[in-house]
Amino acid sequence: MKSNRRSFLAGAGAIGASAYVSKYGFAWAQANQPIKIGGQGALSGAHADYGRQMRMGATLAIEQINKAGGVLGRPLELNFVDEELKPAVAVRNVRQQVSDWGAHFLVGIDSSGSAMAVGPVLAELNRICIFTHAATHRLTEELCYKGNVRQIFRASVPIYQDSILAAYIFAKRPEIKRWANIGADYEYGRMSWAMFKHTLKKLRPDVEFVADAWAPFQTLDFSGHVSAVMAAQPHGIFSTPWAGEAIGLLRTALVMGVFEKAGVWWQAMGGSVDVLEGIAGQLDRFNNKLWGTGRYLFTWSEEKTQRLNTQFVEAFNVRWGRFPNYSAECTYSAIYSIKMACEKAKSIETANVIKALEGMTIETPAGVRTYRPEDHQAVYPVPGGRAVKLPEYPIPVIGADLAVYPTKEYYRWPPFEAIPT
Amino acid sequence: MPIDWRIAIPLLLGVAALFAVPLWFGNFGVYLVMQMMLLTLFAIGFNLLLGYTGLLSFGQAGFFAVGAYVCALILQQAPSLLLGVAGGIVAAGLTALVLGYLSVKLTEIYFSMLTLSFGMMIYSLVWRWREVTGGDDGLTDIPRAPLTLPGIRIDLSELSHYYYFVLLATLIAVWLMHRIVKSPLGLTFQAIRDSAVRAEFVGIPIRRFRLLAFVIAGLYAGLAGALLAPLERTITPGYAHWTASAEPILASLIGGLYVFAGPIIGAVLFIGIKEIVVRLTDHWMLVMGVVVIVIVLGFRGGVLGTLLRWTGRDAEGKS
Amino acid sequence: MENYLYQGLIGLTYSMYLWLLAAGLTIAFGILNILNFSHGSLFMLGAYFAFTLYGVFGINFWLAVLLSALGVALVGAVMERFLFRRIYQLELPFQLLLTYGLVLVLDDIVKIIWGGAFLVPPIPPLLDGAVPLFGRPFPIYNLFILAVGALVGILLWIVFDKTWWGRMARAAAWNREMGATLGMNVPRVFTFVFMFAAALAALGGALGIPMRPVSPGLGIAMIVQAFIVTVIGGLGNLRGAFVGAIVVGMLTAYSTMLFPLFELFLPYVVMAAVLMLRPQGLLGGR
Repeated sequence: MKSNRRSFLAGAGAIGASAYVSKYGFAWAQANQPIKIGGQGALSGAHADYGRQMRMGATLAIEQINKAGGVLGRPLELNFVDEELKPAVAVRNVRQQVSDWGAHFLVGIDSSGSAMAVGPVLAELNRICIFTHAATHRLTEELCYKGNVRQIFRASVPIYQDSILAAYIFAKRPEIKRWANIGADYEYGRMSWAMFKHTLKKLRPDVEFVADAWAPFQTLDFSGHVSAVMAAQPHGIFSTPWAGEAIGLLRTALVMGVFEKAGVWWQAMGGSVDVLEGIAGQLDRFNNKLWGTGRYLFTWSEEKTQRLNTQFVEAFNVRWGRFPNYSAECTYSAIYSIKMACEKAKSIETANVIKALEGMTIETPAGVRTYRPEDHQAVYPVPGGRAVKLPEYPIPVIGADLAVYPTKEYYRWPPFEAIPT
Repeated sequence: MPIDWRIAIPLLLGVAALFAVPLWFGNFGVYLVMQMMLLTLFAIGFNLLLGYTGLLSFGQAGFFAVGAYVCALILQQAPSLLLGVAGGIVAAGLTALVLGYLSVKLTEIYFSMLTLSFGMMIYSLVWRWREVTGGDDGLTDIPRAPLTLPGIRIDLSELSHYYYFVLLATLIAVWLMHRIVKSPLGLTFQAIRDSAVRAEFVGIPIRRFRLLAFVIAGLYAGLAGALLAPLERTITPGYAHWTASAEPILASLIGGLYVFAGPIIGAVLFIGIKEIVVRLTDHWMLVMGVVVIVIVLGFRGGVLGTLLRWTGRDAEGKS
Repeated sequence: MENYLYQGLIGLTYSMYLWLLAAGLTIAFGILNILNFSHGSLFMLGAYFAFTLYGVFGINFWLAVLLSALGVALVGAVMERFLFRRIYQLELPFQLLLTYGLVLVLDDIVKIIWGGAFLVPPIPPLLDGAVPLFGRPFPIYNLFILAVGALVGILLWIVFDKTWWGRMARAAAWNREMGATLGMNVPRVFTFVFMFAAALAALGGALGIPMRPVSPGLGIAMIVQAFIVTVIGGLGNLRGAFVGAIVVGMLTAYSTMLFPLFELFLPYVVMAAVLMLRPQGLLGGR
């Protein structure tokens, strides 16, 4: 009996206490409620380093920001999940993060297909997503600019970097006349090759495009592709498989003697840290013919932001023991962009933050980024160049014959004329 | 026929609860329940082939994708939901008719392998026919078009509005399937499953009936796909891949192959288990794999079949 | 012309990987009468084992390959003893489903253990480099794979056609009761057969690691290729699997070069055509 009464009293007390908290604790809690950021990227498989680097970049930014007092007095909180490079998974993640977990902002996404699938859902959920790797130009040009999904932003440079920049660089090599393509057999690879051809042909009407081979996602064996294009005796090879697949492809090309015959090999995203680490042991065998770029190179930044970059690379190295990949830097900068925009808007409401982000300029490790108001694409230059070993770095870097072009020249600009394929 | 209240009351309550879902749950709950309904449609069609006719198809995702893509293409041209969904169903049915005609000549593993290759051909086609399908980026920005009938126009752009459309379509389709399997036609299918030789002996043209089951399964896959396109508003080739064909198979197995409601319960459990596991760990495939292995080793009647056996109400035929 | 021959040899190398994979699948189907969806996952497991031993721990390449094959054979023994043995009597759909469940389990286990680990370890020095062939450098490693494929072919022919052991296994497959009455320990024979099949798959996976990226989706990607190969050649027919592997390897290599648009499509078309016109496969008897 006695114990019953005691437990009754305890229960009543608990109810009373919770009623008190729910009545008076609410306003206090609201101000300190974290601002939630949902992220996703590839966390498994041959492309997994991209998602992990994204998570590292986002975590570092959030740790720094929270230490300095958060955003509008509220801390940031991250939920980062595996996109598996599958559009259906990406869409499910976004819906869960927003409708269920309560994300205020979204970042990340590696695959173009996933990005295109997530785009329309953003409008429905009315949440901003800052994409930090997916490279299809259609995301910003078609979905945002023409389709008017204003919630789409992109911190990373799209396939202009992979293709148009390459055309500018190799237009200056008169001896490279015959080009062949080993393409990633999806929109990213197809559009990169189309843009490269289109631009190079305008600059250099004398070049020929002699062969293409297309490698589907998760290609097991690249030797058939290398052999097929080498049959056409190209001077230059334009190659778009990325991450682990790029490493496998370069290995195959090496043993098939490509770098003894051809003049140059453009590995579009060869400046990715995982690729540079992957080829570290064999750099000499590329005979100085391996070229590439990235959506950021940790060895380079605009003059104005060089110090910022040095600090970032150092902090990243201390925190994670690695060099930051472009997916890390872009996600890091996306988080800082969200911070700046929220503070500018004095709000975290989607409509207000969109307005603040449009045309916003922010200094980031990669350089000075400006989010174009028309298509919400961040504009900043990244160089392309040759893979070399420099004494100050333990892994190869894109560090020789660096070519930087003004973004006015090599980005596509509204109203985005169609590209012949 | 007297009404069995022990079934009717829970059934009515269940349907009433489905109508109340948007009132109780947020957007994500509504989305999840819709996923369950779409998998239900996909799975009951599939199970007409496996559970009732004895044919294991590994290519059903192909018909699902045909339904989804055709519906999406129609909606992008003409914003009428009914037109899009009807188009998707018809296209999937026609595809199933042609491929089914070629497939039902074979049985057993050969049938499974042939349907696998047909499904993957559809996948390759969707992947490569970029001008029409958008390649791997898929079709994006599919409008969730309004429901237009003469004199009526119901806006469905809100997720919860679209939910009711999917719910009605699902209820009608499930009811129709129930009519089919309880009819003489359904009994014929089962006779073929239990012994093709005997069925042929009593004069049943088994190939024609197998084809019929194949087409009905294709129509249901097409309906599920067609309803998916306006829900997700983007569709990609992945929906046609053979690993997507495994989903209705797993749902049917989990629920129970030889009970009508098996695939329905299975679809709910499949989506539900996945959702719960995904929250706890990244490794839902591991959990799903173990569930499948345990069911095959010990509970081949599936969850529902096993429950019915325990309660002594083993419904129809095989266990 | 030289280019076509060169491309053919490249395709033939791919054929040999497919052959190692399909041989095990065929043996399991022919003798144990089970179509194992998770056979591709064993190939993947072999690759991950070798990748860890050779690429991470730096063990000698040959030893690493051997240990991987043995390790996967042990995994196979566990699978056969505790799972497959219980489903030999079941109908086909249940067999396929159980082995599909294994695909899901193994895929996730690989993700848990190796996560995003990624590395293409160096080619062993002995096999590095190229020799001129048809006017172009041809990788020595590919020649090595061709040799391994041929050797395994001869070995299997000897084992199954010429030895007492192989005849016993085939007798057990033909009639389990008869095998038992002849004093044979049929369950044990079956376990060994399955271990052998698993080791073959693992060998294929392990030998690929210096040239090809390994990732958790590898098993799913490979098993469909193996199905195509075995269906074309004839389910359960070893010679058929060899021929099927050559057909698919060549088809892939030449379509990559000549009509890349149909590279994905063609193997399925050939597979469907064989099933419709000659379901027992090119080399299958009645």
